[in-house]
Amino acid sequence: MSDFVAVAQVSDLPDPGKMTVEVDDQIVVLFHIGGKFYCIDDVCTHDGGPLGEGERDGCQIICPRHGARFDVRTGEALTMPAAQDTRMHEVRVDGNTVSVKLSD
Amino acid sequence: MPGTIVQSGFTDATFEDFLASRDEPGWLVDLRRAAWKKFNELPMPSRQDEEWMRTDIRTFHFSKFGLPEAAAAGTDVPPGLLTHGVDLAGRTVTLNSQSHQGELEEKWSHAGVLFGSLDSLVREHPELVRKHLFARAFDPNYDKFAALHAACWTGGTLLYVPKGVEIDRPLHMLSSITDGGVDLGHTLVILEEGARVALLAETSSLVPTGKGLHVGAVELIVGPWAHLRYVNLQDWGSGVWHFAHQKAIVDRDAAIQWTIGALGARLAKVNQHVGLVGPGADVQVNGVMFTEEKQHLCYHTLQHHEAPSCRSDLLYKGALQDQSRIVWRGMIKVDPGAQKTDGYQRNDNLMLRSDSRADSIPGLEIEADDVRCTHGATSGRVDDELIFYCRTRGLTRKEAIRTVVAGFFQQVSDRIPIESVRVALAEAVGRRIREYS
Repeated sequence: MSDFVAVAQVSDLPDPGKMTVEVDDQIVVLFHIGGKFYCIDDVCTHDGGPLGEGERDGCQIICPRHGARFDVRTGEALTMPAAQDTRMHEVRVDGNTVSVKLSD
Repeated sequence: MPGTIVQSGFTDATFEDFLASRDEPGWLVDLRRAAWKKFNELPMPSRQDEEWMRTDIRTFHFSKFGLPEAAAAGTDVPPGLLTHGVDLAGRTVTLNSQSHQGELEEKWSHAGVLFGSLDSLVREHPELVRKHLFARAFDPNYDKFAALHAACWTGGTLLYVPKGVEIDRPLHMLSSITDGGVDLGHTLVILEEGARVALLAETSSLVPTGKGLHVGAVELIVGPWAHLRYVNLQDWGSGVWHFAHQKAIVDRDAAIQWTIGALGARLAKVNQHVGLVGPGADVQVNGVMFTEEKQHLCYHTLQHHEAPSCRSDLLYKGALQDQSRIVWRGMIKVDPGAQKTDGYQRNDNLMLRSDSRADSIPGLEIEADDVRCTHGATSGRVDDELIFYCRTRGLTRKEAIRTVVAGFFQQVSDRIPIESVRVALAEAVGRRIREYS
């Protein structure tokens, strides 16, 4: 069971914005949207594409390889060619510190 | 014996200390310096490259490792899995890329066979090594990892079998690392005309969950009418990064049977090439892969037919559990003059869990018009009916899965003539299979 790991300062990430961060030897994407932080795997479940390099459309992220869309709040796969959800991770904000806890 | 190197990243200063600690011929020092320059110039592989787009190494940092550091004196290295029940003609052991042990039966050394640490043999037989090292099989400029290896290889093994010498029992080489250790071993195998030998190579970590880094290369030079059986079992600890370039050059009417067992490492990226350069060359490549947890194994294979009337047959089989991933990208390349080529490649994957993932990408690139080249790939889950049948015969669910997995690998196992290899692979896979509900 992993614990929360501090990954960024609130001021590091504009709203709206996204950045990739490394947590326990894993790359994940951190989003700051509407005052809230979200975190999902940096992996498109279709072809392993890097979601962190994709364009954001509201609360959706678009895989740069084949255009699959995922909900950044839940990791839900919204459009083909992705049929499986990507993993969502818990985010906690303490003061100016943003921490992420990886899902198992 | 090279001196102990302090591990502090791959920097100019540590590289210079490394060179100063070795008493090597000038041509080799020049080769190392050229490769070091290339290592510093080349970028990290990009995820835009087809070769790396399915293999994410963004969490790998060269700065976390350094040149190999000798293990504490007296560290014991357990014998390899492939040695059980085998009468060996010789063996070598390296620990953290430093030669630890080496022996070869006297009658073979009298026959002119060389088998031992490449570090020492390059000083004793510089012209022989110079003729083959990085000459045909390994390209130091291929990528950043190849350049690092060419610049900093240390330890490793040389096997040289002179013309017509047939070694009747297998040789064994073990490369092991401590937790956090680095292995930059280079394997150079040279078989002269008509020579024959079986070489069992394996890697291991002293700590099964240990971390570490291997940046290695294998060069197999199989001369005309020679015959090589080469087994390469990768069984590093679960925290080891494994990057390797492995290539065989197979000459006229020569044969190689190359068996790969890929079980360990957190991430492995291997380029395995066979070059069929003389008419009538015969190559068989077998692969057994078993992955678990978040392991990622990526194999790029190339069967390059450069001469006519050659045959190559590749069979890779992988079983995956947990969230592991196997990527296999295979290519049969046939040059314009390589008529009457017979090439085959096949990759089968068995998914033991739905969240594992296998990518099979077979390919053909044919420039001759009188060839037979075929390929195939399958991926599937364990058939519940098979499990049910096994359980009606009194097996537990775990035993049933183990039986199905053993049956899946049987096709490869049937092709391996050395019993200790069959047994070691079966046992290693069997041990890893988990109970699924």
